[in-house]
Amino acid sequence: MEPMHCGKPRPRQVVVPLLRRDSIGASHHVLTFDCEQPLEAAPGQFAMVRGAQWGESPFLPRPMSILTAGRRPSILVKVVGEGTRRLASSEPGELFTVHAPLGVGWAPCPEDRVPVLVAGGVGVCPLVFLARGLTEQGRRAIALYGGRSAGDLPLDDELAEVTDLRIATEDGSLGQLGRVTVLLESAIEETKGRLKVYACGPRAMMARVVEMCRAADAPCEVSLETIMGCGYGVCLGCAVPKVGGGYLYACSEGPCVDGHAIAWES
Amino acid sequence: MRCDPSVKVGALTLKNPVLTASGTFGYGLEFEPYFDISALGAICTKGLSLLPRIGNAPPRICETASGMLNAIGLANIGVEAFCTDKLPSLRERNVTVVANIFATSIEDFAALARRLDREQGIAAIEVNISCPNVDKGGLEFGVDPQMAAAVTSAVKKVTKLPVWVKLSPEAGRIAVIARACEEAGADALCAINTIRGLAIDVQTWKPRLSNRTGGLSGPALKPIAIRMVWEVAKAVKVPVIGIGGVTCAEDAIEFMLAGATAVQVGSANFRDPLAAHKIAQGIVDYCERRAIDPRELIGKALL
Repeated sequence: MEPMHCGKPRPRQVVVPLLRRDSIGASHHVLTFDCEQPLEAAPGQFAMVRGAQWGESPFLPRPMSILTAGRRPSILVKVVGEGTRRLASSEPGELFTVHAPLGVGWAPCPEDRVPVLVAGGVGVCPLVFLARGLTEQGRRAIALYGGRSAGDLPLDDELAEVTDLRIATEDGSLGQLGRVTVLLESAIEETKGRLKVYACGPRAMMARVVEMCRAADAPCEVSLETIMGCGYGVCLGCAVPKVGGGYLYACSEGPCVDGHAIAWES
Repeated sequence: MRCDPSVKVGALTLKNPVLTASGTFGYGLEFEPYFDISALGAICTKGLSLLPRIGNAPPRICETASGMLNAIGLANIGVEAFCTDKLPSLRERNVTVVANIFATSIEDFAALARRLDREQGIAAIEVNISCPNVDKGGLEFGVDPQMAAAVTSAVKKVTKLPVWVKLSPEAGRIAVIARACEEAGADALCAINTIRGLAIDVQTWKPRLSNRTGGLSGPALKPIAIRMVWEVAKAVKVPVIGIGGVTCAEDAIEFMLAGATAVQVGSANFRDPLAAHKIAQGIVDYCERRAIDPRELIGKALL
């Protein structure tokens, strides 16, 4: 039998205990799990996570971008609904099913372009993982991080360690006043358009970032955030409209995809 | 005692009574990293249409209490691509394949069956007359006994393969539809498909799904499904395959006691790729503890 995942780590579902929960303010939490067998994952890949004791509700696991891999893999949780509320209130020792690594991670950055990471809120997670990977390869990225106010920027210190970090807040409480796209304008100028953008954040932010990259003729990858049922290509619930018609599936063709291929207006 | 988990669905012998439900198992090959899918009773493919379908606009799914709503809209690669790109790999792996078919006319149902009949490696055809999430060709075949019988006999006429008909819970009296399909030649009846539901976002005041309504699946559906399997099993002589919220071996056993010869695992596959495999093993464990074969469970609660 030909393995379909040759060269790529095989996804598997394990039941593992929560090792620790680190809360960042009221709505963001880093959950770290204790895995006997190290989780092999590439930056941008994700995990489907569900409490092993949840019973039948919430019924489905939650797609969570991977923050760190290895023996102690972690995720960043922002409370948005019942599932994430349950995740965020879990205690060390509680058991979780973790199905990972799933999806397609970030593509490499061409040697002749500067990697520019554009993060909005909880979208920072796969970009911190990416920045650490780039640092290991001896490359330093520019990171642009935006949020409504200073409290909406989890993991900003972690990002600062591995990138040239610039911050924008809409209320001016930290960094430049305004949206992250203001920072991107300067970064495009600074790099004379020789940049590759990696973006993850709210849909409107990503749409605007892609538009700016198109105008600058720069490649732009985005990590899609959608509702997912299964995370591995069988429920077909995570359809995202693409340019030219039809849909792509965020779980199996993404979550990291060419931002120029997405029909943002739909 | 070691039990023999095999069951017979008409002339077809399945290794065990656990199948995977159409639309929850892709084309099977997606499960290759997790386990050997040839060990399952069978896999039912994503619903195949004559031409590829892109499916409905998102959002297509939303979670509800103990289950979920979906309105995928039968997105699939089409029967031709299935036969060319998927079936050879399934055949090579000795997977028991049940091809689920969907069409908007009786002629197209027959054309699909005729096309699949030319292929090696298909164990049965499952006729979907019960999809709630498409504009045409879903429920109208499933809620009218004459239409259901007409589709069944049209498919029967053009294939040597066993023909299973997947029934809708939305038929007023499911037993009447079941009998009509049996008389038209159905070799087995599968019950049930999802039930139409609606979820509304109280922030935006809009339905959560772009299709507005969607099919309810998961444990929330199970007691209704078991009641319907029980009604169908009492009404027909052909085997019944139970579907609806099976997440563990006990659920499957409950369906069998209600008269199902086998079960299909659906939404449970979404949260655990190994769900069907574990359920099949759980049935064996249960039967070995009681020193019985799974076949002895079938219909034991039919009073």
